[in-house]
Amino acid sequence: MENTLRQKAKELLESGEVKVVIGYRWNRTRTRTTPVFITKPEDTDQLIFNPLCVNNLSLYLTRKFKDIQALGKPAIVAKGCDIKNIVVLITEAQVKREDVFIIGMVCNGMVYKQELWKGELTPQIMPTKCHNCDVRNPHVADFVIGERSTFTPPEKPEGMVFDKIKALDSKDPSERWAFWINEFSRCIKCYACRQVCSLCFCERCITEKNMPQWIETSAHPRGNLSWNLTRAMHLVGRCTFCGECERACPVNIPLNLINQKMIQVVGEAFDFKSGYDEKVHPPMIVFSPDDKENFIK
Amino acid sequence: MADKLLKKENLGKLIESVLGKGGRFIAPSTDARQVVFKAVAKAEDLASDYILARNSYKEFLFPQTEVVAEFTVGKDGVDLRGTDVNPKDTVIFGSRPCEAASLSALRAVFTWDFIDEFYTKREDKTVVLTVACTKGDEACFCTTVGLSPETKDGSDVYLKETESGDYIIEAVTDKGKAFVEKHAAVFEDGSATAKPLFIPAKIEGIDLDKIKERLAKTENYADPVWGELTKKCIGCGACTFVCPTCHCFDITDEGTAFEGERRKNWDSCQYENFTLHASGHNPRDFQHKRWRNRFMCKFNYYPNKFSSKGCVGCGRCIRVCPVRLDITEVMEAMSK
Repeated sequence: MENTLRQKAKELLESGEVKVVIGYRWNRTRTRTTPVFITKPEDTDQLIFNPLCVNNLSLYLTRKFKDIQALGKPAIVAKGCDIKNIVVLITEAQVKREDVFIIGMVCNGMVYKQELWKGELTPQIMPTKCHNCDVRNPHVADFVIGERSTFTPPEKPEGMVFDKIKALDSKDPSERWAFWINEFSRCIKCYACRQVCSLCFCERCITEKNMPQWIETSAHPRGNLSWNLTRAMHLVGRCTFCGECERACPVNIPLNLINQKMIQVVGEAFDFKSGYDEKVHPPMIVFSPDDKENFIK
Repeated sequence: MADKLLKKENLGKLIESVLGKGGRFIAPSTDARQVVFKAVAKAEDLASDYILARNSYKEFLFPQTEVVAEFTVGKDGVDLRGTDVNPKDTVIFGSRPCEAASLSALRAVFTWDFIDEFYTKREDKTVVLTVACTKGDEACFCTTVGLSPETKDGSDVYLKETESGDYIIEAVTDKGKAFVEKHAAVFEDGSATAKPLFIPAKIEGIDLDKIKERLAKTENYADPVWGELTKKCIGCGACTFVCPTCHCFDITDEGTAFEGERRKNWDSCQYENFTLHASGHNPRDFQHKRWRNRFMCKFNYYPNKFSSKGCVGCGRCIRVCPVRLDITEVMEAMSK
């Protein structure tokens, strides 16, 4: 798989079809993976692909990374889940389909966090998204690498995140509120959740608008709540449940619960799942006369 | 000579003794599935098996958010009322030698051209009990920056774990000696054998002098290697938040237009807004320039301005980085 990847990357760079390959390489001690930007054909041997390649590299296609955009047309090494984000970026006019070469990687699951890796991919160290993955065979790609996966996800999504959402839904609103206030109380306002998210592509986030200061910068309950809720709302109908925000959070706030809940709400209201078709716009940016109105009471 | 020991069964008594005298006891404890420094009330709250807490304990000396003044705007002008800081006696238990060494770096900046009492008063009331490392991981690099688990800089009391889980204690500073005397009832004389320490291997190919020399040359400032090494940085600032020596803050007024609080909040040089000028110009307009600044701060500005270390090699920034941007890889490249 890696040989094919390196060969393909080399060809793409040599022919000039792309100017940079966004992929993964080992760290110095070959224990963790880290993003890499390959611009020379002779450097393509650095590219790797394994269950430690957790990062959603679609982030580097966004406007926040002007120096990477300046390199020229990219090829990107992407798992199915990463491709979902690329699809959203295309539907939201952030990237043109023809401006990115997607090297789709067939994936059999990743670790939730790299620290959990003990040399073997076991179900216990895989995130909920992998257990329910319906894009192990990349769904939008220019070139697919890997032996076709025969995995079929469970009919009804299952796993830790779904169980926790059910448990939370069964609580009364005051208990739910207390749960989230407690979780958000740890927030240190580092905004790692936003920075790691390829769909948080605003060049000027609302937190940075300080005349007036819409979101208080202090890490106190009100500031923390307003930040986390604002981000959740801005991802409605867009988030693909890639899980990068929760992985990046230094204080372990269970952001996957919020985002997956939003996905369920959008699924019920609009019969829409983001990240599957680059020709369909997400529900929050289009008006359709068929939109349900039953929420108006 | 007999050693002074803190038996593990007396740890609870030490906590009680500290709390009983009106102090707070900060120690590594498990919260939301990870070990962090937090206020604890009993020995069972302490994490038993950890390398290093995720956060540094700087937040107990330099809170992430603190009110420095209150204001009311009236017809006759602004009434601005300063806040006094009256810190509690604070005991940090389970510091590692690397982070203890970071305190002199914080002190240096907070007493440099202005004595910041919000910091100094807290630090004066803090006693640091360091427990030397018996385990570590691959992110540890204290020996590469000239420290080691045997370093006692910044520790008031230096503890070594014994095979039976007790601690051999050594009061290092006057503050430490006073602490041991104050809580004499919980310590006892005896002799014990300390567990062997975990000494991380020094990373080959890193030379702090060469780094300093290279950074000092202005022609290297715009070296394209900065972009090559660090353009993957996503600017989340998590490294600066967990770093024991990062200390930048911002002052912000929060409240209504008529009354509110002036707050001192942690800031991060990794944020785009950190150097954004009112004109719209930003001298650090790309993320790699912001990353370069943090590196410069640690290995050039700090060692030149103060005689303290800008980086203590705790490795927190490596562990927390979502894109695994490893500072030691940059140190290695900059040693060439």
